[in-house]
Amino acid sequence: MSYVIEAHNLTKIYNPKTIPVYAVNGVDLQVEEGEFTALVGPSGSGKTTLLNLIGGLDYPTTGDVKIAGVDITKMSENKLIDFRLQNIGFVFQAYNLIPVLTASENVEFVMLMQKKPKREREQHAIELLKEVGLSDRLNNRPTELSGGQQQRVAVARALASKPRFILADEPTANLDSKSTENLLDIMAKLNKEDKMTFIFSTHDQRVIDKARRVVTLVDGKIVSDEKQTQSS
Amino acid sequence: MLFKVAWRNIWRNKTRSIVVIASVAVGLFAGMFMMAFFMGLVKQEISSAVETQLSHIQIHNPAFADDKEVSDTIANAAAIIEKLKNDSTVKGVSGRVVAAGMISSSSAAMGVEIHGINAADEKKVSSISGEMKEGIYFSGKKNEIVIGQKLAEKLGVKLHSKIVLTFQSVTGDLTAGSYRIAGIFRSRNSAFDEMTVFTNDNELGQLLGTRSGIHEIAVILKDDKNVNNAATELKKQNPALLVQTWTELSPEMALITGIFDQIMYIIIGIILLALMFSIINTMLMAVLERQREFGMLMAIGMNKPRVFFMVVLESVMLTCAGIPVGILLTIGVVEYLAKHGIDMSAFSKALSQFGFSNIVYPELQTSMFLPISLMTGLAAILSAIYPAVKALQFKPAVAIHKI
Ligand SMILES: Nc1ncnc2c1ncn2[C@@H]1O[C@H](COP(=O)(O)OP(=O)(O)OP(=O)(O)O)[C@@H](O)[C@H]1O
Ligand SMILES: [Mg+2]
Repeated sequence: MSYVIEAHNLTKIYNPKTIPVYAVNGVDLQVEEGEFTALVGPSGSGKTTLLNLIGGLDYPTTGDVKIAGVDITKMSENKLIDFRLQNIGFVFQAYNLIPVLTASENVEFVMLMQKKPKREREQHAIELLKEVGLSDRLNNRPTELSGGQQQRVAVARALASKPRFILADEPTANLDSKSTENLLDIMAKLNKEDKMTFIFSTHDQRVIDKARRVVTLVDGKIVSDEKQTQSS
Repeated sequence: MLFKVAWRNIWRNKTRSIVVIASVAVGLFAGMFMMAFFMGLVKQEISSAVETQLSHIQIHNPAFADDKEVSDTIANAAAIIEKLKNDSTVKGVSGRVVAAGMISSSSAAMGVEIHGINAADEKKVSSISGEMKEGIYFSGKKNEIVIGQKLAEKLGVKLHSKIVLTFQSVTGDLTAGSYRIAGIFRSRNSAFDEMTVFTNDNELGQLLGTRSGIHEIAVILKDDKNVNNAATELKKQNPALLVQTWTELSPEMALITGIFDQIMYIIIGIILLALMFSIINTMLMAVLERQREFGMLMAIGMNKPRVFFMVVLESVMLTCAGIPVGILLTIGVVEYLAKHGIDMSAFSKALSQFGFSNIVYPELQTSMFLPISLMTGLAAILSAIYPAVKALQFKPAVAIHKI
């Protein structure tokens, strides 16, 4: 079985010259296709940093990250942007969407970057927004959407590029419990039905409960990595 | 869609964008209006000079043009004048007897250029007959003279005063004639008014001893665009004569139009340079306050050339939105003032000293719209470079997590 993500001996040191912070410290992590994995740990444990490293948003101090067998730590910034565009979907905690575009335009935007034809973009955007339950919000701008709806658009947007996996850094941190549950259900459904791989960081126990694998970080090190069975 | 994004981004901060658009519009208006004003002034000055002094074309004996000897008349003047009078493209022809001389009243004497003219012909060529302040432009009586107001003041003479003209005849003898002032004119050019007097051509010819000899043929065409063609034709027909267009007679005046063009581009350039600082400032603010958004865009796959392009596009759209506003403003104001004129009488003393008139009618320079628009677009692109480079320097990992 080949891994979609292979991180080997990953270390990220902030401020190496003054007061070094080992945000991620010698992490080895493999992720298989179809996983639904939660990254947990106390605040400052390095979850965001690790997600940035495996998502190619930042370069490690040492170690390497292979995505589908390709080492991304050696790529130039601009190459990495194109690599992310084709391979990785992102959902952030907030400010996911382009404020001047409607929900469907936001979803189309990544496909535009991928130079997909207009018809395909429009159709696919509508399909994806339908999948996340927003077929009645296609033409609303982010400011006209609730936080939960915005995050669902972000999931649809992340899916639009047909990525290998989706990284979500605390996607539910700003959501109420109902919206949290709703978003997680959608992610779980996409994982189950479309085999989309999700890796998300969270503090929320109810979110952790939905994961099938839970990786726990403390002080930049993985202290536990457990599979858990799913009730739903 | 990138265009859509860029355009909508401009309107995220309406006030700020409107300020930039308005300053571009006003800056361009200021430049273009100035151009229209000066062009109007220059064109008026040219047409006034053409009407009072230069005509479209003048013909001389080349020797006369050099040293103004009264003996150097135009050999077959009568035939040339006759031919021109029958030419349908010619509006007026006037044959002139020209002599340098001295005008003296009881109290003063001045050097002048005496133009002996046929009043009926001269009226068709020169506007002086329409610029009489006192008296009339020749009644047909004997020994009439028409002089400028400025000259009349200097000589201390009034309408109907007697003055004496003194000049050298063709034989070199000093000759004098006594005249009565029939009319006093005032053209836009006070230097001309002070230096030029008009009398009857036959009377002057008799005193000079040149008889029906003509020194100068002045031609006004119906359409001033034909000047060069007509002059070329006349040169061909009269190779022995000196045929000059008004631009040849007064090259500095023709030059002015070209120089104003260049000055204009320099002025617009300076205005744009000043505007660029405001555009750079605005674009820099727009980029810096959207740091997280740029981080997100690069995270989800918007590559650097595209980010750069988007910032440039925003700058160009923002700036260029001011162009049509500026052009419309210019057209509106200039068209209005072209009809009603700008009264410059507050400065008229100084202006008329240089031959300029009181009321200036600005002239719209539509040919400048395209080059000015291109210059503005270029300024917009240049202004975008620094902000765009700034945007590229954002690191997605850092930018996204900035609060
Ligand atoms: N840009 C940075 N410069 C310096 N130190 C940083 C930077 N980013 C993160 N750190 C430090 O690295 C460590 C890990 O931070 P990180 O944001 O990855 O933790 P986290 O697990 O995501 O925390 P949280 O749950 O609060 O989001 C922390 O000690 C943090 O202070
Ligand atoms: Mg974090």
